[in-house]
Amino acid sequence: MRRALTGRGDTVMLIVRTAAALVGAALVGAIFLLSDGVDLIFAFEEILNQSVGSSFAIKNSLIDAVPITLVGLGVAVAFRAGIFNLGGEGQIYMGALAAVLVVLNLSGLPGPLLILLGLAAGMVGGGLWGGIAGGLRSRLGLSEIITTIMLNFIAFWIVSYLVRGPIQDPGGAGYPYTEEIPAKAELPVIGGMIPFGAILLIVAAAVVWVLLERTRMGISIKSLGAGEAAGRFAGLKVERTGFNVLLIAGLLGGLAGAASLLGNEGRLSDFFSPGWGFIGVMTALIGRGTAVGTLVAGLMIGFLTSGISGAQSAAGIPTATAQILLGVFVLFLIIVNTDIVVRHLRRAAFSLRRAER
Amino acid sequence: MSEFLDVLGSTALYATAIRLALPILFAALGEVFAERAGLVNVGLEGMMLMGAFAGVIGAHYTGNPWLGALIGMAAAVVIAAIQAGVSINLSGDQIVVGIALNLAVLGVTSFLARAIWEGGDVPKVDGFSAFSMPLLSGIPGLGPILFKQSALIYVAIAAAVLSWWVLTRTSWGLRLRACGEDPRSADSLGIPVFAYRWKAMIICGALAGLGGVFLSLGQLFTFSDNMSGGRGFIALAVVIIARWSPLRALGAAFLFGAFEAFALRVQVTDIDVPAELMLALPYVVTLLVYAGVVGRSRPPKSLGREYSRG
Repeated sequence: MRRALTGRGDTVMLIVRTAAALVGAALVGAIFLLSDGVDLIFAFEEILNQSVGSSFAIKNSLIDAVPITLVGLGVAVAFRAGIFNLGGEGQIYMGALAAVLVVLNLSGLPGPLLILLGLAAGMVGGGLWGGIAGGLRSRLGLSEIITTIMLNFIAFWIVSYLVRGPIQDPGGAGYPYTEEIPAKAELPVIGGMIPFGAILLIVAAAVVWVLLERTRMGISIKSLGAGEAAGRFAGLKVERTGFNVLLIAGLLGGLAGAASLLGNEGRLSDFFSPGWGFIGVMTALIGRGTAVGTLVAGLMIGFLTSGISGAQSAAGIPTATAQILLGVFVLFLIIVNTDIVVRHLRRAAFSLRRAER
Repeated sequence: MSEFLDVLGSTALYATAIRLALPILFAALGEVFAERAGLVNVGLEGMMLMGAFAGVIGAHYTGNPWLGALIGMAAAVVIAAIQAGVSINLSGDQIVVGIALNLAVLGVTSFLARAIWEGGDVPKVDGFSAFSMPLLSGIPGLGPILFKQSALIYVAIAAAVLSWWVLTRTSWGLRLRACGEDPRSADSLGIPVFAYRWKAMIICGALAGLGGVFLSLGQLFTFSDNMSGGRGFIALAVVIIARWSPLRALGAAFLFGAFEAFALRVQVTDIDVPAELMLALPYVVTLLVYAGVVGRSRPPKSLGREYSRG
């Protein structure tokens, strides 16, 4: 029973732990920043400013939070079933590919319809990729840890081939990207501060919450997570559930790709995702596999990423250091949550062993 | 079509195949030790990447690729020690820890490359170049394939045979496997499960590190971000395909090297195949072969389960 990934953590403790991780990351980050010769106080101030300091900053932070949280929600659903979806990256690329194909080819349609179709196509593309991993797992018993990673590379090279050949922007001076999507297909920003993707995010989190907590499928998912042997004994269709969660993860990963394409990037390239699929895994981990936890973790990481990247030029932080700062923060989040993982897994191992006897 | 056959018939293809198989082979051998002891080490990818990076650093500053290799292995062992500490002693989830380490190594190596060299532009270093074995390399056909290689391929073959012997023919190997099959029984017989799992993970780190070293010092003679490119995960598949046997891993790794070599060599012919799609080939083949054999392989019984004495 992966209680560690399913627990309803004490909210106070969640805040305390997050604060501890932030302090730890700031301390270690300070060493890196100092070695770059950056003015520390100014850098931290600037990071805060660029993350929540203005409605423009908040908009950017939310845009950064969208893909990682959507992917993270997909990873979270799979986690609850004890299944690891490392395929977010491939699902994002396939989702964005499907979305860009639909939007560019149907550009005669009215904007709202185009957006709707683009997002739906993204889910189909990502769902296909997640579904392949799900099928390989449930039909043939292939570990999704390996298949999803292989599918990531395959998706990447397919996109790389397409954006350098068949769907390359003819006016793009040979750059590996597609034409820009029509302006009417871009996701709106509400009040100059709330990008449409953020609303998508809340809806997706709510749907995942309902799925996990209020539906029959949610019960199947959580029982599978509690142990395959026990699930089978209880009459659970283990294979079916395994397929379902990877499909759902794919749908959300694809949506993440489509939402970024329509909400921010505007075109597909083979450097479209800077590792969102993997940051999504971390997001779900930190959120302990719950819908709300993942949403909170995704927003947190989004605000921090955006703050750091926004502060880069003003505070003179090198790109690599910016990456490290985020990496260190995530690492600290994991460290401060380790004790829970440990305690629950121990208890879980016992109950499993007893159940098998 | 005949051009495809030309590629398949060229000795250069097989020589390249062996060269490309080496990193995967080393990593797979390491993973066999870990998994036979009951540990799933998803952090293999990160260990390879760390080995590749530290190997270049070592070779650059010492001027000696062999010292570079040692430094690369040592750095990967540090990652292995973290994996071991959290997953064995703290009973942390093995897969989660591995995933976290992969991400951390990716960040740390990219950062350090930029911290040391402007723009992350890592210079070329002296690596393991191919050398011709006297007499043997003159054998028609086989000579250029087997005996015009870098010295590390002989180390790799020796490592595979030695791993097989240690795991299946020594009492140490028997006890290690017991820790992977049934740690509780092993413990009750006085086998120190934690110690064996630690040793297995350290061996895994050293071998995966050496695999990474060969990527950088045996192939490109430099380091680039994320240069392991999923090979750690291919090695995970190779272990399953090889049914946890070091000798079969030799064959399985060569198979993947052959497909990668094929993808590379086709590009230098007149055959009009998009390079990007050929680069996807090793990953497609991994999926297909894995799908083909998985039903017939049985993992160690307690693979991936943390053990606590309580």
